[in-house]
Amino acid sequence: MNPVTEGLPDSFWGIPVPGPVALASGTCGFGLELDAMGLLADVALVFSKAVTPEPRDGNAPPRIHDTGYGLLNSIGLANPGLDRVLSEVLPAAAGLSRPLVLNVACESVSAFGSTVAALEAGGSHAGYEVNVSCPNVEAGGMAFGVDPAAVASVTRAVRRETRRPITVKLTPNGGDMVSAAKAAEDSGADAVTVCNTFLGMKLDWRTGRPALARGAGGYSSPALLPLVVARVWQVGRAVRIPVIASGGVWEPGDVLELLAAGASLVQVGTGLLRRPSLPSELAAGIRDLLCGT
Amino acid sequence: MSSAGLVDTDARVIACSREDEDIFRIELEAPRIASACRPGQFAMLEPSPGAFPVSRRPLTFSSCDPEAGSVTFLFDVVGAGTSILSRSAEGDPVRILGPLGRGWETSPGRWLMVAGGLGIAGFPFLLSTADEAVVMAGTRTGRGTSCCPPGTVLATEDGSVGVRGLVTGLLEDVEWDSFDSIAVCGPSAMMRAVVASAPPRVLGRIQVSMESRMGCGWGVCGGCPVPSSRGGFMSCCKDGPVFRACDVDWERIS
Repeated sequence: MNPVTEGLPDSFWGIPVPGPVALASGTCGFGLELDAMGLLADVALVFSKAVTPEPRDGNAPPRIHDTGYGLLNSIGLANPGLDRVLSEVLPAAAGLSRPLVLNVACESVSAFGSTVAALEAGGSHAGYEVNVSCPNVEAGGMAFGVDPAAVASVTRAVRRETRRPITVKLTPNGGDMVSAAKAAEDSGADAVTVCNTFLGMKLDWRTGRPALARGAGGYSSPALLPLVVARVWQVGRAVRIPVIASGGVWEPGDVLELLAAGASLVQVGTGLLRRPSLPSELAAGIRDLLCGT
Repeated sequence: MSSAGLVDTDARVIACSREDEDIFRIELEAPRIASACRPGQFAMLEPSPGAFPVSRRPLTFSSCDPEAGSVTFLFDVVGAGTSILSRSAEGDPVRILGPLGRGWETSPGRWLMVAGGLGIAGFPFLLSTADEAVVMAGTRTGRGTSCCPPGTVLATEDGSVGVRGLVTGLLEDVEWDSFDSIAVCGPSAMMRAVVASAPPRVLGRIQVSMESRMGCGWGVCGGCPVPSSRGGFMSCCKDGPVFRACDVDWERIS
């Protein structure tokens, strides 16, 4: 049976969804701008930018570099911090037309627990995406994600604080992604997100200076799609919980390919930065493709 | 896509011409954007219908003709995206998202406009709103000086056009108090030098148009930080690109 041509999912985590396309963390803020533009109609879930316990200014500029065939970034989890998210962002997001999943990033296992406990007190968000995979911070970030034991600890810490669904966003940068996914599943995760950006770097060979102030950063590109398909395929066969694919999506066929590989939901990120209307364009394109199958 | 004047649309190239060495002017038919854009705002242009390059290019509006429904941009060829744009021909489609960002706070009175390099690109539009203005521009060589509005006072480092030296040299005899508003646009070091050369009493009248690499242009990716004098960063694409000079932390501008 081809899971794609048999029909697209109409719900995820029990939430009715208009289609399989969701918005990737870090590329849509908290969804407010896109909602104001009326562009969330075809979006399944909005995965927010990372929320950290303290406000973060982010990394020094330049933070972004377009290589021509991909995008390097080192934003550094810039965000207003837990207190302002609770007092300002979540009230504003209460009227969001599509469900919001809060991406949470912390530097210690206990901070993951306490941050999610604090977020439980406010907001009508649908769940959490546990970020153990950011390549652009020194502490926490993908250091957690490459170690299945650390993934398990973080997942349990979050699980203890909430009954809302959680997905653990894994890293493709080192470690064994399948083992990390199993660790997340065994520790109470309701899904895993596969995967984050790939660690990359651009240097000026004349000067030896990197294009990003921080040096290396997260690399995203439609050219990464086969790498993401392979990881979704591998992880999807190893776990029973849903896999949320993230990375390399540019065209309707990319979404269907990731669904065929085993994803239940597909996030768009860099493509959204270029085309805010990408979710609607994908939705229309998917309908056209499936009508032709 | 349209909300609060923001439009993402397929525009059509009216003309694209080389103005100088690697400097191009492109005019697009985009009526909804032409009727909404303000001086100092910018648009994100999608140079290619394919996937690469992956991000759009931010270009400031150089001029705008709401009646004709057209907008014009002046740009340097610096990479793959602008190279593709420079090869545009009449009738070609170009996807355009705009108008974006905060433009100049336009007010009646006398303006001083100071540009470095292709920082001059947006001044024709601002000039169209001013009662009276003095425009000064500096470049390393004579490259790009033909793009300056008529009457621009020029300085070139090689002395090929105008006064030999930096644009800040032109400011030595300026009567700062005679200007109600001061607009500065160009490389960061040049803008920092202009702001430093102004007497403190006029700092509140100086606006600067900052440049930063951008991912989205509409305020969500966090890719274009501008150091704030109050600490932290502002977003170039959403809080700017035009800022009051006193709101920028010039010490942290690289």
